[in-house]
Amino acid sequence: MSFIKDRRRFLQHTLVGGASLTTAAGAPHGWLHALAASAIDQDRILVVIQLTGGNDGLNTVVPYADDAYYRARPKLALAADSLWKLDDSFGLHPGLRPLETAVEQGRFAIVQGVGYPQPNRSHFESMDIWHTCQPKVERGGQGWLGRWLGSQRSAGSSSGEALALHLGHEPQPLALAGRDASVPSIASLRQFRLQLGDSSELKQQVARLAERSDEKTSARAGSSTDFPTESRTGLEIDRAADSEAGSEAGSELLDFVQSSSRTAVEASRRLESASADDPAGEFPSTSLGEKLHIVAQLIVGGLATRIYYVTLDGFDTHAQQPAAHSALLRQWSEAQSALLQVLRDRGHGDRVLVVTFSEFGRRVAENASLGTDHGAAAPLFLAGPPLKASVVGIQPSLTDLDDGDLRFHTDFRSVYATVIEKWFGTSSEAVLGKQFQTLDVLA
Amino acid sequence: MKSHNLLETIDPGWAWEPWQPTGTESWDAPRVAHLFRRAAFGASDRELQESTHSSLSGTLDRLLTPAEGAAKFLVSAEPLAAGALAANQPRGLAPWWLHLMLTSPAPVLEKMTLFWHGHFATGAEKVKSAQLLFDQNRLLRAHALGSVQQLVQGIARDPAMLVYLDSAVNRKAHPNENFARELMELFCLGEGNYSEKDVQELARCFTGWEVKRNQFRFNRYQHDDGLKRLLGAGDIESGQQAVDVVLRSPHAAQFIVGKLFRFFIADEPTPPARLLDPLAEQLLADNWQIAGVVRRLLGSRLMFSTAASARKVRSPIDWALNWMKACEMTTNLKKLGEELSELGQALFYPPNVKGWDGGRAWINSSTLVGRTNLVSRLLRDDSTRFAGGDWQSFFRQRQVVSIEDLIDWTELHLLARPLSTETRERLRSAMQGAGGVERLVDCLVLVSSLPEMQLA
Repeated sequence: MSFIKDRRRFLQHTLVGGASLTTAAGAPHGWLHALAASAIDQDRILVVIQLTGGNDGLNTVVPYADDAYYRARPKLALAADSLWKLDDSFGLHPGLRPLETAVEQGRFAIVQGVGYPQPNRSHFESMDIWHTCQPKVERGGQGWLGRWLGSQRSAGSSSGEALALHLGHEPQPLALAGRDASVPSIASLRQFRLQLGDSSELKQQVARLAERSDEKTSARAGSSTDFPTESRTGLEIDRAADSEAGSEAGSELLDFVQSSSRTAVEASRRLESASADDPAGEFPSTSLGEKLHIVAQLIVGGLATRIYYVTLDGFDTHAQQPAAHSALLRQWSEAQSALLQVLRDRGHGDRVLVVTFSEFGRRVAENASLGTDHGAAAPLFLAGPPLKASVVGIQPSLTDLDDGDLRFHTDFRSVYATVIEKWFGTSSEAVLGKQFQTLDVLA
Repeated sequence: MKSHNLLETIDPGWAWEPWQPTGTESWDAPRVAHLFRRAAFGASDRELQESTHSSLSGTLDRLLTPAEGAAKFLVSAEPLAAGALAANQPRGLAPWWLHLMLTSPAPVLEKMTLFWHGHFATGAEKVKSAQLLFDQNRLLRAHALGSVQQLVQGIARDPAMLVYLDSAVNRKAHPNENFARELMELFCLGEGNYSEKDVQELARCFTGWEVKRNQFRFNRYQHDDGLKRLLGAGDIESGQQAVDVVLRSPHAAQFIVGKLFRFFIADEPTPPARLLDPLAEQLLADNWQIAGVVRRLLGSRLMFSTAASARKVRSPIDWALNWMKACEMTTNLKKLGEELSELGQALFYPPNVKGWDGGRAWINSSTLVGRTNLVSRLLRDDSTRFAGGDWQSFFRQRQVVSIEDLIDWTELHLLARPLSTETRERLRSAMQGAGGVERLVDCLVLVSSLPEMQLA
């Protein structure tokens, strides 16, 4: 299996390139051993592509045989003969053509009518709902992937390896937030390397400083000299807010930065080694193409990371939708197609599942600005391994609407449950808060 | 997350009283440095000295009252934006604004302008016009310490905002809800303090508000002139009336001062409403003039308490500019603008209409490594000057000649709290490992990688 070969090569690279740094930092840390020991070809990977802004599902998977579609969208409806027809009832936006191979091979599926009860039409609220599975987000709330990562960590499967990575400049998606997992974000592999001039000792000292900031409890012995201190004489400030409670709560932020610093240094080393094995994939030079190129490098490089999270923004097409939406769908399908191709060629095609979602679909009726406003239910997409069906569920009715929007029939948490149970082979109930029905789509 | 919220226990009456020197607390250099980090972008040695010899109130007077040359200064800086405007390159505006932040005689004004840029976030990737973003920036600055009401009215007809939130194509027959929703959700009230019906009604009020040749234009043919009901009030016709109705909501003042609190005092935890009440009341009593509330926040007992110190994660701009002010650096600001973008804070390109999340969201592996790389680059770059000279003479003049001196200098100029004995020891040993004070720049890079450095 070619993957094993890649993997061996990667380990060799790592051992040659990383050994000095690893020992220099004073701890062989065991991550190399853990990598070598884990039966990694059984480890399945999830890539999440988030289409930010609310993808217009109706103009992505088009019910061209339904007159109601053309009535609702006199200007925006896509002509039947322009579509990539999958059957007698619906066709795909022509921008999805690059996915033809994946569709032919039965490695691409559409899950119709995905949403949740009482849809929220605010981008941020709805995205938070998708990320956390909770209707109202509490500060410090955890995302569904963050909770899953936490459960993996406590199961003792991790040796300091970053189980998940977020690629991009934007703030980390809440989906990855977890109490027990600090997920690194990267925008390019270059950015991940310390670039500190010609001093090689300096890198080591930075790494050492980050690692040793572990000893946080003793590091706070100096809190009595905290500046600026409150003078408590004659003040009506409650006793509980005295410097003891104050410095304890304040240290949460410091603890967070300390653990983030350690993660940063660890991941930096790993990525530096992994990037030596760049797959010669033909990735488009788009923002999503570049992100998925990095994802491919890391997967092929043998990183034990299980989850990669990327976003593509711009789907909030309130005005002048057609050109923008076409370009976005094309960017998505081209980049995704390249990722699938490279992974198949390198023997990883069956172990990587790509899930693409958006926080909501758009209103059935077009608006007067050649655009569409925030809606509700929409299709979601699965790709990668062989799938049992190319379409799951039916197209929601275009006439029986919920305040102008499509009604969902498949709860997004059912999709999550499917990923957690059928893909990762772990229990979903604790992660999602209750048991959701899984979909019969993963082979 | 701990359930205990320190802020719950603080007496609001105590918190917002002006801080006063006491027997144990004096108006000293560390407090001055703290104030300048929060109210502005850091302080030079001269500013530290002058303000230490003055008082808190005297310092606030100077920081908040427009300096005599402030207007002239702004005009004199305009040529720095000319190239970006002529070439229509919004990214090229970043160096101009960074220059204002670094050298303005009224730095609080720039900090508040940055606050409003994050609040009324408008992104160039959609607006695509450097001129419109420049004009919006001037609007934000003109009202940054003035009337919130006038600012919101101005934003509602600001061409960049109208383009950004699609209200420029808001037609009578199909009201576009984007701006209407964000005006309530993100700009004035907060989620949950209005209904979906309010969004639809408010959108009707703004129909016909268009942009024509880069100017706001009211198109009466596209305006729905029927009466609307909004937030319980009836008989509303125009968008202007509607803005005033939104600001009359009991949630509005609380919402604005809550964001100011997070910006100036602490990223977390969320302050309870009763702690914000006195500020919200003052904002209303001052008829939405915000300068008084800002001054009260900045000069409060709370600002100089453990509830505020080291409770903010430095934004990338604060990060870079605190270093630059401390070392009195001048450098290539165009390059700096690009680096800030990699660190997650591209001026004129906020991530979305919600602006920068701030706090913990600034921190991740790439930005942590990137922050240290940035400091390393700034210190080594050929274009960087330290008080006009090289770093050797800069530190020599300040008698920073040993590792101890350097740690002391760092603590005063860049750290929110003194380092613990253990951290100090670790830093000392790392500095020795990196070549000692002979390689002072390397030592400063090590300082920049300390987790403590990320907090202001």
